Parts: sequence; structure tokens; C-alpha cells
Amino acid sequence: MNRSASPASLIGRVVIPLLLIALVVGPVAVVFLATVIGPWVVGVVNSNLGILRFVLAIAGVLLFSIPAAFIIIYMELKVIAYMNLRVGPNRVLPAGAAHSVVAGLKVLTKEDFTPNGADRIVFTWSPVLVFLTAVMTFMVVPFGPGLVGAPLNIGLLYLFAVGGMSVVGLLLAGWSSFNKYSLLGGLRSAAQVVSYEIPLTLSVVGLILLAGTLSIDSIGRQQAGWVWDWFVFRQPLGALIFFIAGVAEANRTPFDLTEADSEIVAGFATEYSGMRFGFLFFAEYVNVFIMSALIVTMFFGAWNAPVDVNWLLRLVGVGPLSINLDPGQLGSSLMAAAAVVPLLATLILAAPVYLLRRHRPAWQALLAGFLLLNLLVLGVIGLAAYMDWDWVAGLVWFMLKSFVFVFVFVWMRATFPRVRIDQLMGFAWKWLLPAALLNLFVTAFAIVLIKSAGIN
Amino acid sequence: MTTQAEPSQHRSEDDPRIMLHGQMGQYEQVPPYPPRTEREAEFYTLGDGEMFLNMGPQHPSTHGVLRVVLKISGEKVVDLDPVLGYLHRGVEKLCENSDYHHIISQIDPLEYVSSLFMEWAPVMAFEQLMDVQVPRRAEYIRVLTGELLRVASHALFQGWMALDLGGLTPILYSFIERDEIVEALAALTGQRMLFNYFRVGGVNGDLNHEFLSRVGDWMSRALVEHEANIGLLNENEIFVRRMRGIGRVDRDTALRMGVTGPNIRAAGVPFDVRRSHPYSVYPELEFNVPVRGANGGGDSLDRYLLRLDEVRESIRIIDQCLHEMPDGPVMARLPRLMRPRPGRAWAAVESPRGLFGTYVISDGTDQPFRFRIHDPSFVHLQLVGMLMKDNLIADTMAVMASLDPVMGGIDK
Repeated sequence: MNRSASPASLIGRVVIPLLLIALVVGPVAVVFLATVIGPWVVGVVNSNLGILRFVLAIAGVLLFSIPAAFIIIYMELKVIAYMNLRVGPNRVLPAGAAHSVVAGLKVLTKEDFTPNGADRIVFTWSPVLVFLTAVMTFMVVPFGPGLVGAPLNIGLLYLFAVGGMSVVGLLLAGWSSFNKYSLLGGLRSAAQVVSYEIPLTLSVVGLILLAGTLSIDSIGRQQAGWVWDWFVFRQPLGALIFFIAGVAEANRTPFDLTEADSEIVAGFATEYSGMRFGFLFFAEYVNVFIMSALIVTMFFGAWNAPVDVNWLLRLVGVGPLSINLDPGQLGSSLMAAAAVVPLLATLILAAPVYLLRRHRPAWQALLAGFLLLNLLVLGVIGLAAYMDWDWVAGLVWFMLKSFVFVFVFVWMRATFPRVRIDQLMGFAWKWLLPAALLNLFVTAFAIVLIKSAGIN
Repeated sequence: MTTQAEPSQHRSEDDPRIMLHGQMGQYEQVPPYPPRTEREAEFYTLGDGEMFLNMGPQHPSTHGVLRVVLKISGEKVVDLDPVLGYLHRGVEKLCENSDYHHIISQIDPLEYVSSLFMEWAPVMAFEQLMDVQVPRRAEYIRVLTGELLRVASHALFQGWMALDLGGLTPILYSFIERDEIVEALAALTGQRMLFNYFRVGGVNGDLNHEFLSRVGDWMSRALVEHEANIGLLNENEIFVRRMRGIGRVDRDTALRMGVTGPNIRAAGVPFDVRRSHPYSVYPELEFNVPVRGANGGGDSLDRYLLRLDEVRESIRIIDQCLHEMPDGPVMARLPRLMRPRPGRAWAAVESPRGLFGTYVISDGTDQPFRFRIHDPSFVHLQLVGMLMKDNLIADTMAVMASLDPVMGGIDK
């Protein structure tokens, strides 16, 4: 045993010198930052507030898209499983909640294979293009009042312009793979997305006439109030066409010909593996969320609650609620409460758990009580935020409604067979397009009629 | 020391350490050998705007290892060439080198979806050669298990049909039905798939309690579940539109091509081996032979619906078998080593896919001199070339699935 006797462990040998260095460098750095860098940073930020906001919005949107896709993938696995009388993923975390995350990590670790004969550059970058076009659409989606990446006044135009670009990525992916199945998938997606772009766009024109604006934010604001203020009740046909065309745009069942596994294996994604496949895969689910979000924004009241809360409160005799609690007033009693209340609450919440499960160790009851307390506090904070800030309320309703539509997408996937390519094109050109035009003309006629009659 | 690369070799773009043989354009040369027949030369000559699409042998919807080379122009299938033999075992030759008992297990995996029928036909042929009278209880058991397996096979067909058209859910529902039957048969025979249950002169064992309780349990709700499975799919507009008018086989074509089973009944010909050439105890049982597509030939939808009708009739037969099952032995008395008289025998049964027949020539030894198999899937596959032409790629799945081929039987 010739192990050298060292008084300090490995951690000690690394951490203690680092601590010493930090003690010396820290104050110097703080002074330096505060006097030299700080003002410069503040100046730059102040003069470039627009750009900074844009960059932050992009970062937020990119960061949001990944967990959203994970949730939708998990939802699809689980919902379809229950509709198929299966259990679905149930290994990672309770009920397999982290299954899609682990699958995403697995995709990262896989070999990134390029088939021989493929156009390497195009093959590599087309999934990025597909993913980016999907994520870029997020920029104009208002998640709540004022909670929008880029509040463009031509948001709808931007949306269709960028959304239409995804077909380029799919086509490039199909073409560059050097595989006939991929080629067929790419061409199918080109035909499909281009055809359905037209009814998709035309179905919204009636709504644009009604709302008088191209700004998505403004369209959302105009639907405030009760359920019947939502545009779906003024544009039912438009909403239906938008939904159907949206399903086709997102390449989802029954219009998932681009990746029809029983016909062309996996379409444009056949030759992809690793993270390049991951991009294509995520893009599909981001597209699903975007389509749901757009349907909600334009036809189902955006972030607005289905009931007019203020009207209800006035009916009961209460003004608009807001929390006016000044912690500073409480003084030393606040300190005492902060010290005592969590302890007491933990014990009180742990008591029923302990009484019900006496055969378990007491610390488990205490842990359960503590978790319950945390949940309670989080709930109270959430409720306060919901009542105090309208963007929190908007975000809650927006997400709730969007995921209802995501559920519908998943439900359709479990239910419908796939249509054939000629049926798909025939449906777009023979049914959806005339219906969208009819919707547009009727809306325009009605608006002219109402205006000439002098109402409003 | 460096080795000189041959001119036809080049380094892989993916990994420069890998040497590849042949030119980069080798992918264009299909097939990589000069054409052997006129038909092959014609097929492998591409017209303007056409390309080959090689479907299979590993493809999600060719039902096993069928390989179809499609010549497509855009989405339209111009011509096609099925390539068989990826599952060839030489079953006929194997059977000629096995004794008569052994053949039952050799022939079992032919149509792995409905293997009891594969045992039934040779067993009947051997019984003709041996002049054995099969006990009535054994005959009833054969009919009972056979019809159960027919329901299971058609349930699988229904699920696969939907899956090939892009519907995810129905196959899991129909697999429940199939699984209940297969589990019951496993309780009787000890196997889930290749039962090896029929014997020359009877069956391998009498009905046991678990089998009867499982079958009774299933029978109590079979029709209800069948109706539920029908309701899941049959009124789906997309499903019906995908299949209506696709893959029409008219009466004359069906007769000319030797089509049998549900496929010919869907073309309007009431041919059913159980009624036309009665065997076993079928003459004593009441059931209808459903026929569809009487006017203008049967399409994929007719073939699909006809199989659902057949399930209902099979459930009727099972019900009668369970009620009228006679007592008695399940095996005739036979020598251990069978040496039938020299001669020849043909026996055919109505398998879920059609007429499955075996032709045996005996030379008096314990092995057959010749053993030949007529498999319905192989006959039906001949229709594919006719039905898929000038259809879309997606229709090839609707047609192929509706013919319900099993590659084990085709490649033998």
C-alpha cells in the first residue's frame, strides 16, 4: 500500500485553491464590472433595446419549442396508446413521463449517417431549414396579451410566408437523400403543402376583412369577452377550412402522405438518422403545436377566457380583483411568520398522511407534508399571478386551448386511415378552395351590406 | 506497402477507409445482370419519366418478404414485377423425405396465420390412402378448431387491411379477438401459432376444460365484439373511398386465373370447398356461403366485407359444433409406422385464403413418393400484376392487403 498520505481529499485540493482565487479575484472583478463594463453594457442595451428584445424572443421561442415538442410526443404516445387499449410508455419516471426526453437524448447519441451518393451539404442543412421555419413561425404567435416575440402589424402575412418555406426544406431533404422513397416523399410534400397553402390562406381572408387587420395580436384582442365573441362563430366555415388545411400543412393523419409508412417507408426522412432525423421529427411536432396555436389565436379567442371575468365579478358585487399586499408593513411579524408558518403547515399537512399510513416511517409523512406545502404555496402564488397579471391568465388559457387542439390532432391520428394522393389533391382543389372562396365572398358581401345599411 | 486500387474501385465519401466496388452509377443498373427473357428486357427498359421503385423484401406492407419491383411514372404504377423466393424452404421436398407423421409438422409453418388448415389437407389425403375412418368426434373437433382459426385469421386480415391504409388502431382491436382464440387453441394444443394438432386418423388430444371454458367465454361475446370491430372501421369515409373500385376482379377473370376462397366469392362466384366438395362433417352443419360483388366484379371493399360476413358464418358453425359435439374416441386405431397402399390421393380444404390442396403419391413405403401443395396465396398473387397496373402506389397496398396473401405459402 504505497498510497501517498494526503491530508486533503481530491475535492479539497481543487476547491480550496479555487476559493482562495475567488476571494482575491471576486472583489476586483466586481469593481471592474461596476465601473468600466457596467455602464457600457447598460448603454449598449439601452440603445439597442429592439434588437435585444428580438434576440431574447428568438432564444425564448427556441427554448420553448423543444419542451413543447417533447410534451406533444409524450402526449401522442400515451393518448394513442390508450385509444389502442395499450399502456404506452411507462418506464422513465411515473407513467413514462420522461420517455420522450430520453428518446430525444437517444437521438442525439446516434450515428449521424450520410448515405453514399447523397448531396452532403443539402442533406445536412435541410432538416435545419425545416426546423427553423417551424420555429420561426412562433415569433408572431401571441401567447398572451403582449407576450409575443415580434409584434408585427403584418403578422399573418409573415406567418404564411415563413410557413410556406417549410416545403423547400422537405423537398431538399427528399431530393438530397439519394433514395427513391425520399424523393417520392419530398415531391408528395411539395404537392400537398403548396395545394393546401391556398385554402389555408384564403380561409383567413374573410377573418382579415372582419377584423380589419393583419396583426395577429390585434385579432386576438378583438375576441375578448364571452365565448360568442370568438371569431369561430362569425366564420364557422373559415375555421373548418383552416383546421382541415392546417392538418394537411402539418402533414398529419389523415394527410400524412409524406411519411406514409405503409407506402413509402418514411418519406423524406427515410435516410435520416441521429439528430438530423431529430430535427425533422421535432419540426413535425412543433408544426402541430403551431397549427393548434394559430387555430386558437384566430378562431377560438386567442388568450381570452371563455367567460368575461370582470362582468361576472361586477355581477357578484366585487370590483376587479388585485392583490395589494405590502410585505414591508408587516415588519417583524413577517419574520416570525416566515419562521413559524412553514413548520406548522408542514406538521399539519403531514398529520393526515401519518395517521393514514402508520406502518410507514414518520419521515415519509413529513416529506409528503412538505411537498404538499410546496404545492399549496405554488398554487397560491400561481393563483395570485393569474389574478394580478393578465399575461399569466392569457398564457394559461392559450396553452389550455392549444393543447385541446393538439389532442384533437393526436385523436385524429389514432382514428383515421390515410387518404390517397389523388383524393388529397382533389379535396383541396375541388372542395376546400371553392368553399374558401365562397366564405370570402359571403363575408365581404355581408360587410358591405352592413356598412351600407349604416349599422356600426 | 500500398496496394493499387482497381479502376472500378473508389473510396466511400462517408469513410475514406472503405473501398467500394463498382461505379457510382451502379445504382442505376437494375437488374445488375443482362435480361434473361423478353419480358424481363421489356420490363427493365425505362420509358420517358419512369423509374423503378423496389418495394421489399423488407417493406412494412408487403406482408412478409415479397419483393415487388414497381415501374412508376410519378405516382402511377406503369408495370410491376413480383420477385418471389425469399422464404423458400423446399417444403414439398422436405415432406417427401419425411414420414407421414413428420409431414404434419413440416407443413405447419406454410401459412403461419392459419396453420391448422395446412395440417388438415395432407392429413385428409393420408387418410384416403390408408382407408381410415376418422371418428366423428375428431371430425367435429377439427371443424371447431378450424373455424376458430378462420375467425382469428380474418381478424388479423381486418387489422392489417386498416394498417396498410394508414389506420393505426383497428389492428390492436382485432388482435384482441385473435389472441383470445389463439390462447384457447394454445390451451388445447400447447402452441400459439404452429399447432401440430391434427393426426392421421384424428386429432392429438381430446378437448380439455381450459379450452372449452375459454371458447365458451369468447363465444358469449364473439358476435358483439365482431360488430364493434366492424363499427370501428366500416363506416369510415376515407377507408371506404380508398377501397371502393380498386382492384376489380370480375367473374370471368377470377375463374380463368384459378382464384378461390373469399377472393372468388367476392367476385360473385359461390364457390366454397366446404359446400362444393364437402369434406369432414360440413354437410351436417348449417351455414351460408356469403357472396358479394355479383354485378361488375368485386373490388377491394367487397373482398374486405366478404371476410367479415364469413366471420359471422364461422361463429355459427362453432356454435353448432359446440352444441352437437358427439362423444367417442378422437383417434382411429392405426399402426405407429404407416405404410399406405401404393396410389395417389388429392385432398383440399377451404382455408381462410381459399382452396388449399395436397396431392400425394405413395409408393408403399413410409414416405410419400411425391408430395405437392396447391396454395391459394400463390394463385392470388398472380392477380397482382393485373390489378396494380395503372393504379397509384398507395393502391398497391389496398389491393395487396385485400388479396390477403401469406408469403410462407407462396414461397413454400
